[in-house]
Amino acid sequence: MKKLILAGLIILLLAAPWIIAKPFFVHLMIMVLMWTVLGASWNLLGGFTGQVSFGHATFLGAGAYTMMILYLKCGLDPWYGILIGGLVAALIALPIGYICFRLRGPYFALSTLAVAEIIRLVALNWESLTAGPVGLLITTLPKVSFGGQAINWESKTPFFYIAVVITLAALWATAVISRSRLGAYLLAVREDIDSAEAVGINTVQVRVAAFSLSAFFAGLAGGFYAMYLRYIDPDAVFSIALSVEMVFIAVVGGLTTVAGPLIGAIFLVTLGETFRERFLVGHLIFYGFFMMLSIRYMPEGIWGKVRNWFTKSPNTGN
Amino acid sequence: METFIQSIVSGILTGSLYAMIGVGLTVIFGVMRIINMAHGDMVMLGMYGSFWAFTLLKIDPFLSILIWFPAAFVLGFLTYRFLLKKIVPAGELNTLLYTAGLSLFIANTALLIWTGDYRTIKLDYAVMPLRPLGIAVPIPLAIAFGMAIVITAALYWFLVRTPTGRAIRATSQEPEAAALMGVDVDRMAVITFALGTALACGAGVLLAPSLYLYPTVGEILVAKCFVIVVLGGLGSVPGAIAGGVLLGLVESLGAVYVSVPYKDAIGFVIFLLVLLFRPSGLFGVGKS
Repeated sequence: MKKLILAGLIILLLAAPWIIAKPFFVHLMIMVLMWTVLGASWNLLGGFTGQVSFGHATFLGAGAYTMMILYLKCGLDPWYGILIGGLVAALIALPIGYICFRLRGPYFALSTLAVAEIIRLVALNWESLTAGPVGLLITTLPKVSFGGQAINWESKTPFFYIAVVITLAALWATAVISRSRLGAYLLAVREDIDSAEAVGINTVQVRVAAFSLSAFFAGLAGGFYAMYLRYIDPDAVFSIALSVEMVFIAVVGGLTTVAGPLIGAIFLVTLGETFRERFLVGHLIFYGFFMMLSIRYMPEGIWGKVRNWFTKSPNTGN
Repeated sequence: METFIQSIVSGILTGSLYAMIGVGLTVIFGVMRIINMAHGDMVMLGMYGSFWAFTLLKIDPFLSILIWFPAAFVLGFLTYRFLLKKIVPAGELNTLLYTAGLSLFIANTALLIWTGDYRTIKLDYAVMPLRPLGIAVPIPLAIAFGMAIVITAALYWFLVRTPTGRAIRATSQEPEAAALMGVDVDRMAVITFALGTALACGAGVLLAPSLYLYPTVGEILVAKCFVIVVLGGLGSVPGAIAGGVLLGLVESLGAVYVSVPYKDAIGFVIFLLVLLFRPSGLFGVGKS
């Protein structure tokens, strides 16, 4: 029954651009999916291990720049670039993780913020590689045909399907991890790091693994973002605001759940983008507002709350 | 040699204002164990307060601090009482996320009301810098420096000499023991938060004539502020003062002797090194 509902939802999602063909709607769905990936990425670390990272824009930026540079300088097709971008982000996460995970709680959060700022400044000043504040621009995307038909990159629909693939991969990975041994280790770290250590879990290694996996998906989303917008600069992909947005989508949607980031993204991105259409600035006002409401009244997030209603278990929470 | 002295002087001038902001954050951390992500936005509000009082009412920024300092105290009081009080017991990480939400909310409300335009305050008497001994000293920064010292010294006196100040320090050292000695810990928390906010806003008012102001300036300021308080040891007031001056010096010397584009990065690198190797701060007085 559950699988049937899931299949139905996926078919509905795939058909969505044909049902409502308005460009703004398709754009909105693309943004929702991209932010779902970013929220899911943050959730893999923040939700499962309880480590708050305020520096995830680093991985988004790493993915975006990898894809862009490989395409512009080596002529590598963007889809491979996106994948490699994810891998590069995962690699970068390893040293950052080994350094920052020596710190705990809020100190870890502050250290990730500092690392992200350092990397933003490097990207801004390493002009031979990143073109600095001028940014990188793609004018044309490669010609490809799918089923005998040339893909029209001027329409948003092909991007939508790429976004769907990445999103499903991220959510599937979350589902697999939440049932795996690694997932259990991560939750043990979140609940009580000292006890986890005492029962023989290598907490640094486990956290670095989660961090790197999380970075991989943020990198994928970053590569996709660069391909979709065709223009990036350091402040657009490495800013503190982006890191914070990911956190908020994951928390408001519901931490440690599979669907949480999707729900959070649908809710916040729809509100934000609709507001941005009209007022141009200040759309993050909702992010801040709902973050405060969420922490105060439902720390388990929207999806966490809904799920609790359905399961009706006497012990709330996990 | 002249460049060296020049950068030392400007480093100390800016550093005094960094110190004032840092002291605000560190006293809040000391008493409540919370890292207030919205601290930089309080500085931003002070800067805009200074700007509007000057533009609309022609009140000099260095006079308008007399209005904004108490106003910010009330703002801090209300913020704590109505927004933070119920959150603090939920733990450090929840408070961190909550204040990050508050920060985004304040910054974006400001963006909506005041737009993202860069604004400046142009004072008549600020056209030419003072030139004692051939070193250029911008007048607004010199006045701000003087006032920051007076305010920080007054705060220090308050914390060391008055009964309330002593109670605040006691709460900061050992909240449970303080409570057992009859200190009203909750009241100390609200006073401290209000005071910390007033210091941040006050520094913003003083900084406004020397910096560009825009609604998201708090993002960078709060990051610098973390560097300052970690350098000096979280929770330590003298540490935050030293950390502030140190960061001011590092930035101005770094801009001259390392590179202008990377001057902000130096602070963060030092920050990481201190967090990793001297978590109780350079002077070993803070609590980690």
